[in-house]
Amino acid sequence: MSLPGIFHDLLYGIGVAASPTNLFVAVVGLLLGTAIGVLPGLGGTNGIALLLPLTFRLQPTSAIILLSSVYWGAIFGGAITSILFNIPGEPWSVATTFDGHPLAKQGKPGIALTAAFTSSFIGALISMVLFTFFAPPLAEIALKFGPPENFAVLLLAFATIAGLEGGDPLKSVLMTLLGLLLGTVGFDIVSGSPRMTFGVVALQSGINFIVIAIGLFGLGEILLTVEEGLRLEGVRARLSFRDVWETWKLFPRYAWTIVRGTALGFWIGVLPGTGATPASFMSYGLAKQFSPRGHRFGTGEVEGVVAPETAAHAAGIGALLPMITLGIPGSPTAAVMLAGFFIWGLNPGPLLFREQREFVWGLIGSMYLANVIGVLIVLTMVPAFAAINRIPFAVLAPLIVILSSVGAYAANNQVLDLWIMLASGLAGYLFKKLGYPLAPLVVALVLGDMTEQALRQSLIMGQGSPAIFLHRPIALAFMAAALALGALPALRALRRQTRGRRGTAARPAPAPRG
Amino acid sequence: MMALGLVASALLLVREALRLPIAWTSAGPGPGFFPFWLAVGVTGVAALILARTWRAGRRHDEPFVPAGAWKPLAIVFLPMVAVVALIHYLGIYLGGALYLAGYMRLVGRHRWMQVAVVSIALPLGLFLIFERWFLMPMPKGLALEWLLYGR
Repeated sequence: MSLPGIFHDLLYGIGVAASPTNLFVAVVGLLLGTAIGVLPGLGGTNGIALLLPLTFRLQPTSAIILLSSVYWGAIFGGAITSILFNIPGEPWSVATTFDGHPLAKQGKPGIALTAAFTSSFIGALISMVLFTFFAPPLAEIALKFGPPENFAVLLLAFATIAGLEGGDPLKSVLMTLLGLLLGTVGFDIVSGSPRMTFGVVALQSGINFIVIAIGLFGLGEILLTVEEGLRLEGVRARLSFRDVWETWKLFPRYAWTIVRGTALGFWIGVLPGTGATPASFMSYGLAKQFSPRGHRFGTGEVEGVVAPETAAHAAGIGALLPMITLGIPGSPTAAVMLAGFFIWGLNPGPLLFREQREFVWGLIGSMYLANVIGVLIVLTMVPAFAAINRIPFAVLAPLIVILSSVGAYAANNQVLDLWIMLASGLAGYLFKKLGYPLAPLVVALVLGDMTEQALRQSLIMGQGSPAIFLHRPIALAFMAAALALGALPALRALRRQTRGRRGTAARPAPAPRG
Repeated sequence: MMALGLVASALLLVREALRLPIAWTSAGPGPGFFPFWLAVGVTGVAALILARTWRAGRRHDEPFVPAGAWKPLAIVFLPMVAVVALIHYLGIYLGGALYLAGYMRLVGRHRWMQVAVVSIALPLGLFLIFERWFLMPMPKGLALEWLLYGR
């Protein structure tokens, strides 16, 4: 696609996003999203899952603008709780607590907040430009993909999750497989026979992704919050004009940190399946290594706030790139949005760019508008949002449970889903406690059908031989990348092991048992 | 142990997948093909994790749930179960109102006045949003059906 063509489409998209309805929807989404981001028991992923039923009646364009605005709001809002209360409002703002809260305690909450919002905004802005120019050509290339290429890309998605998630790779693999397996419950698309239902009729229509996501993230999160005995004691927030100006004057100094954070964040976001959370940690780690003041990180360095926040928002934007061009979510939150595509009657994939011009460019245009509005909202309304944390838990917990029930019921209009939601809530709590990551399960569940179809069609094309993946160069390249990423944790473990063995080689070490 | 339970349930899943043809059929791979290999994979990985935990030795240095946390967990989880049951019979609005009121009063020890205001206003707000503006029917239970529609 030509450069002027992209500019033309972008202007068109901004026009779509600037229509009164869409602008209104974006502001509502930002306010809701920021509130969701501020509340520790309610994350962006389940916040969006809860709002999904509300979008059934909207135009697809307004619906995606609403949900993506919630995402941006949640990314901005997560920082507020991190900085003022030392409790991450979102998983991706954990790294923001390291330096953000010390700053707040030193009496500079305004500087920490401004730094967080501004760097988040700059990270978003650069990523949006990258997004605008990468998305159309990528969709163009993806149009040429056949089933083997699609399967290879999906494999890459799963490998990235297992390879980059951190944590235990075996457990990530297990959760991915479980997610795919849950996705097969219900009627088989090809043969029409019910599968994995154990004879239960109600399971024949399949297990709804939204129900599981709400249970795992919504209810599971409440249980975890309760167990940790949440105590919100925070620093009062005031954001004066002077704070903002003082912080902005510091910013040119952090140019490299910002560029590095954005590049890293965008890239990690684009990699399918991994979103803002690992990006923010990696960016913080890198900044700590490279900054001349790195040794002071953790004591209240502004740069320690800038690094994770830039990367988090850049990754949030990047995560939508594979979602809109390939139909593969770049993060768990994007996975929930993708589930919405089916509900709105859209078929995710590269064809969207040709057939749903308003939807695609409306979303891109709204990124620009919503992030500008978003940064203004959070800069001016910090005290109001911080006050949300004063809602007593005895009101908040039942409210989240009721909203979760509404969301789970609305997905299919069946009461059985509420029990499934309850069960997955309990499962989510247990999984989290035992170190089984939830993100792979959710992403795999959304991609299950697509993966199976791609694999079956490829095998049919290859007349039953998996060698078809080796004969198609693009598929082969993706497969190789998937293998490399998937092998990453194994290599890491191996290195740790050999190093350990060398260390203990002097004395015969019995296998540790006991 | 979680891994043990997973291995056991994974074997069950393999059996369920085996009910369908897993091999090549006239229409390409049979419907059981994908679930079967997934279930086999789950079993394998779960067994690996199990073996690893077993080799590392069973050490329960810290209790699974911190000692003091059982009570708050129960206080949140049991009403969660109760409210789903309530929604089954009373619908989301009445059930939700009762749940909110009960929870606020018994757990949060809020004043009756606050309890009344919140537990009436929130379900009413939800009712307006879903039934009026978004025209999405929520489960209402028999009592409310009768009140609203005289059925």
